[in-house]
Amino acid sequence: MTKRRIVIGIRIVTIAAIAVFALTTPGFTSPISINALLNAISFIGCVAVGMTFITLTGNIMSLCLGATLSASALIFLASLSAGILPAFVLALAFGIIVTAAQGLLVGYFRANPILVSIAGLSLLIGGADLATGGQRIYPGGEGLQVFKGRIAGIPVEALYFFATVVIGQFVLSFTRIGRVMTMVGSNARAATAAGINTAAAITWAYVMAGACAAVSGVLLAARYGSGDMELGTGYDYTAIAAVLVGGTAIQGGSGSVVRTLIGVTVIAVIEVVLLLRGFSQQLQYLITGLIVLAVIMLHTIGERR
Amino acid sequence: MPDGPPILAVEGVTKRFGPNEVLKNVTLSIGAQEIRAICGENGAGKSTLVKVFTGVHQVDGGVVLVDGKPTAIPSPLHAQEFGIALVAQELSLAPALSVLDNIWLGNRKVPLFHRRKELREQARAALEKVGLGDLPPETPVSQLSIGRRQLVEIARMLTRDARVLILDEPTATLSDVEIERIFSALRALKSEGKSIIYITHRLGEVFEICDSVSVLRNGELVGTRPTAEIDRGELMRMMLGRSLGEMYPKWTNMPGKRMLVVEHLSVPGIVHDFNLAARRGEVVCLAGQVGSGAIEALRALAGLVAAATGNVTAMDQPIRLRSVQRAQRAQVQFISEDRAGEGVFLNLSVAQNLVANCLGLHSRFGMLRHGDLREAAAKLATAAGVDLARLRSPADELSGGNQQKLAFGRAISGDEPGVLLMNEPTRGVDVGARAEIYRLIREFCDRGYCIVMASSDIEEVLGMSDIIVSMYRGRQIATYRRGEVNQQQVLADITHPAAAA
Amino acid sequence: MIAHAFRSLLAPTLRPFTIMACAIILLALIDRGHGYFFSVGTIFSVMQLFATFGLVALGLGLSMLVREFDLSVAGIVGLAGCIAVMTGVENPWLGVVLGVGAGLVSGTLQGLIMTRLHLSSVGVTLGGLLTLQGITYVLTENKTISYPNIAVALQLNEPLANLLSVRSAVALAVFALAAAVMTYTHIGRDVIATGSDRRASRIAGLNTDRVVIGVFAASGMAAGLAGVLLSYSLGAASPIALADVLAPAAAAAIVGGVSVVGGRGSPLGIAAGVLTLCILRSGLSAIGVAPHVHDLVTGGILIFIAVLDAPDLMRRITTWRLDRAERQAAAENQT
Repeated sequence: MTKRRIVIGIRIVTIAAIAVFALTTPGFTSPISINALLNAISFIGCVAVGMTFITLTGNIMSLCLGATLSASALIFLASLSAGILPAFVLALAFGIIVTAAQGLLVGYFRANPILVSIAGLSLLIGGADLATGGQRIYPGGEGLQVFKGRIAGIPVEALYFFATVVIGQFVLSFTRIGRVMTMVGSNARAATAAGINTAAAITWAYVMAGACAAVSGVLLAARYGSGDMELGTGYDYTAIAAVLVGGTAIQGGSGSVVRTLIGVTVIAVIEVVLLLRGFSQQLQYLITGLIVLAVIMLHTIGERR
Repeated sequence: MPDGPPILAVEGVTKRFGPNEVLKNVTLSIGAQEIRAICGENGAGKSTLVKVFTGVHQVDGGVVLVDGKPTAIPSPLHAQEFGIALVAQELSLAPALSVLDNIWLGNRKVPLFHRRKELREQARAALEKVGLGDLPPETPVSQLSIGRRQLVEIARMLTRDARVLILDEPTATLSDVEIERIFSALRALKSEGKSIIYITHRLGEVFEICDSVSVLRNGELVGTRPTAEIDRGELMRMMLGRSLGEMYPKWTNMPGKRMLVVEHLSVPGIVHDFNLAARRGEVVCLAGQVGSGAIEALRALAGLVAAATGNVTAMDQPIRLRSVQRAQRAQVQFISEDRAGEGVFLNLSVAQNLVANCLGLHSRFGMLRHGDLREAAAKLATAAGVDLARLRSPADELSGGNQQKLAFGRAISGDEPGVLLMNEPTRGVDVGARAEIYRLIREFCDRGYCIVMASSDIEEVLGMSDIIVSMYRGRQIATYRRGEVNQQQVLADITHPAAAA
Repeated sequence: MIAHAFRSLLAPTLRPFTIMACAIILLALIDRGHGYFFSVGTIFSVMQLFATFGLVALGLGLSMLVREFDLSVAGIVGLAGCIAVMTGVENPWLGVVLGVGAGLVSGTLQGLIMTRLHLSSVGVTLGGLLTLQGITYVLTENKTISYPNIAVALQLNEPLANLLSVRSAVALAVFALAAAVMTYTHIGRDVIATGSDRRASRIAGLNTDRVVIGVFAASGMAAGLAGVLLSYSLGAASPIALADVLAPAAAAAIVGGVSVVGGRGSPLGIAAGVLTLCILRSGLSAIGVAPHVHDLVTGGILIFIAVLDAPDLMRRITTWRLDRAERQAAAENQT
């Protein structure tokens, strides 16, 4: 009991420290910096929410969400000629199919999730190269405005991101399948013995991940007005870092989308604060890396391995 | 027995974990060429004492003596150097390596570039002594039966010049032939001057192989006696502190209609043509050691075995095997023998564990009804005797006995009383909680459940069942009604049944 | 008989070599005697690729052997390369020592954090990756550093006997050393045991912490050496040199028979895995096939292995077969 209180205490103190550090930085509360913050959070945040589902079900991480993001963006841009909504739906469907296929392998056969994601990465890169010939893809039609710009002063990306967070956490907290995902991550054998369809739960978790990656891809495509497979480079690492910084356990069974939101925010705030305080980009990178390492270590001290 | 100071001893030793005193002022000593049994119920302190000897735990009070001199044993490596070796219940062999490599695994004296010929010779000699002389040392351990793996572990101890060998429940998973091999190996070791500490629940073996026995109860030493001077009854009294009768509740049962009919249940290589009929309000026990197929038969009925075939009817509905959901729909629920690995969600709360089997019942359109779930959790907790104050605590904070009650609560979460399949329901559960669990089992029977359980504890089988089915190597040996059979007969059935008859 | 032969060829110990053989045969067939594939030039480029990825795959594969995963290899490659280029202008050997040393230090530190604090390797090496990349950025001030010592660059890439270069020869030598250590010393057994069942090995008396730390130190050194050699031979080092190296290295190790859950694999197998992927990449481009074919083929092989090694594969097949038989029997009973 006391150990638990200590862990929670450390977390609160850490967040408070970061908050103080941020709020005492000149310019942090200016519209420009809040904007930059929201932007940074939104794109990576969507992917991180998706990654949360994969980690929560005990499948550690995926190395191909970034590629899924890029490929969905390409699909979105290419199908804009058919209209905004169909393009969006197609992109979403593509993301879901790509990850669901992986989820089926991991769920039904317990194939190794990291291996399957590396395979998916290869296939996505190869497939995209085959389809596009390495060219950048430009919008096939009108309608990008829906996914960029502002509403009431808030960047649209941020709104989409928060919607993703709300939907994601809703699934986890209020649906049966969400509770089941946590149980599968906690103890897959016990879940099977309890009559749970673990294969379906894992597949749904991957579906959520694919959908979230696709949303992020659409948002990025809208922002940059064009896309190629480089769009999502490095997103997997930042996403899993956000998940771990937020406190979701790497072995699964414990965590939430809200925690990932906190994790993404913490990382983004640190980056913005370092920028505002005049640290060079290199130092930003280094200090962010060190803080991520420190926070991950802090979380697991006091928990089980 | 030769003279000289005892090889290993503890004097007035006390060990605490938090507020619990697990060992209280324990004094005992082991001499050379002695085979000492240490007996006691689960939770009596046997494994803690072993961990003190092997350097895993340090004592809070008292002294540990090696060769008569007070010595600290700060780590397992030091224990190894003092010549204290342990063959634990969970084997310490790496499945991916060969027998030869496993024998030398972790041995300080192996040089960097192993001289394979020498090592193989010594390993061969050790294997010979334990009766595995015909086993090629290159065999991967993953291909060996559990019994043979045990013998490989003993062979490993021999190559470490161990002086005191501690065996923790060595025969729990062995066939009778393998048990005989172990015994001859132990006798040979004794004549070479080694001492053996033998931890077991099997009282018959205590009298067969051991020179003396020390009994622990609730962390205290009840006494140490030569085996020639006491008998089984007295040993049990020393262990339990009370006579057998009080453990098991009395009942008068009125079994109702048939709830479970099993025909020709088979799992290739493990269960052969198992048949059973069980009625409402009845407790049927499958008695058998590990490897008898009792546990596997129940797992197959629960839907957990992929290769199971047979005809099963539950509540008058035929059910197809190989799916837990199909079994649950027919009100057949399962309590696993592997509590930590399969029975409990350790990091989830007690309440979340309790409702794990009935989430579908308490959801609408895929949404959980949290209010209903809270109510259901409270009801199940009460029915299973789980402390309501602990509903929000994580399940791993509960003791083994309470976790088992948690598993029980989960199993009765269906909407009507059905069949409960239990594998080794009191494994790793201490005395007090065991009595509670037996009471719960009978309560469930009164409520209309039909209970089928598998157990290797013959006293438990005799104390709890209306019907006993003895099993050996995957086959049913005999079926008895309550009161028709005694302990000796059941023991004979499950260890070496008569060939034909 | 054939099924049995098939199964033993696909068994994890022989599998990497079987796959490598299949890849060679496949490419020979596609080549159809034009001679693009079986040329000295192709073999040389295969070995150059091998030199680049092989050592990283070896390090990553070793960490997988003990059931961990070293996400930081990309960071070590970058850092070591930059350190070597910055310090090895006058004396190239100094750069080598410092670069490999950086890898050793980073691996050991991560191993210590992992074992002393009982943390999972994913979290620690992820933080390590970000930190290492950060350090590299700071050291290079976010620029590409050039390495003016051209003589070394040329020497490293000069063909030896037309097939190898100094770089690939060094890589092969390191593999040979690793294979020797794993086979002829008890270190190999200890590593496999730790990965196979860490708890059991600890009880048996093995210092599993030391094994894990040693593995990560070795992985760091291997990745460091890879970074040094690459930067020297390119004549430049940049913070993001081999940023995407993780996936190909992991793929190579897995094709090479290393099990992601530990306890199975060998340096020779990893070498075969790396060679297979390099042969596919160089061979396919030598024949004139588009680069995406390489990615698709690699992805296909990995899926194949993933399913083959999947623990529940046989369970599902058995259940499906028995269910189908029961359904057929029930249908027959009704007619």
